[in-house]
Amino acid sequence: MSPARVYRHGVIARTAHWTWALAILVLVMSGLQIFNAAPYLDASDKSNPARRVLAFDAQDTPRGPAGYTILFGHRFTTTHVFGYTDDGMGAETQRAFPGWFTLPGPQDLADGRRWHLFFAWALFVGWAAYLISAALSGKLRELVMRPEDFRKVWPMQLYYLRLRKEPPPHGTYNPLQKLTYNVVVFLFFPLLILTGLTLSPAVDAALPWLTALFGGRQFARLWHFTLMVLLLGYFTTHLVLVLTTGFWNNMRSMITGWFVLGAHDGVGP
Amino acid sequence: MKRRLFIASSLSAIGLAGCGQIKQSLTEGPFHNVLYSAENLNQAVLGTHGLAREYSERDVDAQFRVNGFDTPSDATYTRLARGGFRDYRLAVDGLVERPQKLSLAELRAAGARSQITRHDCVEGWSAIGKWNGPQLATVLAMAQPKQTARYCVFHCFDVDQSGQPYYESLDLHQAAHPQTVLALDLNDKPLDLDHGAPVRLKIPTQLGYKSAKWVSRIEVVADLKPFFGGSGGYWEDQGYEWYAGI
Repeated sequence: MSPARVYRHGVIARTAHWTWALAILVLVMSGLQIFNAAPYLDASDKSNPARRVLAFDAQDTPRGPAGYTILFGHRFTTTHVFGYTDDGMGAETQRAFPGWFTLPGPQDLADGRRWHLFFAWALFVGWAAYLISAALSGKLRELVMRPEDFRKVWPMQLYYLRLRKEPPPHGTYNPLQKLTYNVVVFLFFPLLILTGLTLSPAVDAALPWLTALFGGRQFARLWHFTLMVLLLGYFTTHLVLVLTTGFWNNMRSMITGWFVLGAHDGVGP
Repeated sequence: MKRRLFIASSLSAIGLAGCGQIKQSLTEGPFHNVLYSAENLNQAVLGTHGLAREYSERDVDAQFRVNGFDTPSDATYTRLARGGFRDYRLAVDGLVERPQKLSLAELRAAGARSQITRHDCVEGWSAIGKWNGPQLATVLAMAQPKQTARYCVFHCFDVDQSGQPYYESLDLHQAAHPQTVLALDLNDKPLDLDHGAPVRLKIPTQLGYKSAKWVSRIEVVADLKPFFGGSGGYWEDQGYEWYAGI
């Protein structure tokens, strides 16, 4: 007898998932390319070294060039990774983020911006299309966090930590999944788009209150970067869970929709 | 089945994006044109609306950052600079009824707007300066653009290392924005040589590279294609957006 299968992810969720995955990958890599052109972040409106939160630097030392990451004034040597690193062309140079992690690889602000601004649209359109189609099909209700879900978050965490035998009763997504996906879809995505927009002088002129809300242009750049780091944190956790809860089964369910029961009890990534 | 194929190919694209050669071919191949299409969308959606925030005197950067091209060092510019730009004339010509050659005194007489605005560089940094000078609209009106006029091209004194001149362009809508000025002063002093003396464009609703320094001539035109690389500006010819509102 073949194992029982469930149709776990509808076509809307799967299309949205892979659109977002591609868009976020390109946005992070091209965003770091753009960041490299001014590798510092200030908690202020205009650039202000006195309010610098993060910076990258390189210096010549007796033992050769060294790369530094400076966070809140604390200096860390990060040669070959940050500050002095891969130039995307097989050598090393003064550069905040390495060429293997940027798009394009070599220093190219113009094309980095082209990639970034195109895939910003892809993410926005993919996000809006998901919300509209999921709302119309009723699927959105399965995702949106409800008051009773908040009470189930801690029991679910205990279950994950093996301190509780049974997960609390839940629908398609368990309370922790719901919380995480809600934070990403309803908080991170809109904030990433809005903080990105306020880096634009045209948007600042049209919607000055939005820029002021984030503390000014450079502050918005800091928020934009911080949200990216948080999103990468989510992505890492997501990836670990996908890998440890039956990788091929998870991949199959996110590609074809079908998830095989038994190998894992459905508490997915 | 086709859907699976599509998804599978998207997946492999994700996997391969880390590979330098693929990244290169995607950037240079036909996909390039797809990427460039976002610019039209940005201009259509964001356009030029509202007024850039104006700041107070205490927000001003006393040492306004110098960026971009080296200060021109050719014979013409050096001679003009040595003479305190008394012999400088800003040409306003092309598709106009009354071509102008304006001295600095005439530009000052055209009515100065004073604005403290933030300069947002495409690299990501920002600086605040106080800019005085006539509105571009006023100067253009003196020359009376013809009915066929669509853009103004700013020719500049500065050239890059290979001798390519800097230039920029705006459409007449952007040119008519009240904060688009021909700056003569920075922080209440005549522009110094490094900041674009004697005349620079200042358009705070777009990124810094639109605010061309060392402007020698404003040419009113119907089309940007015939000029240099055809994209409407020195950096635009290198792949940067002509619409630099974002």
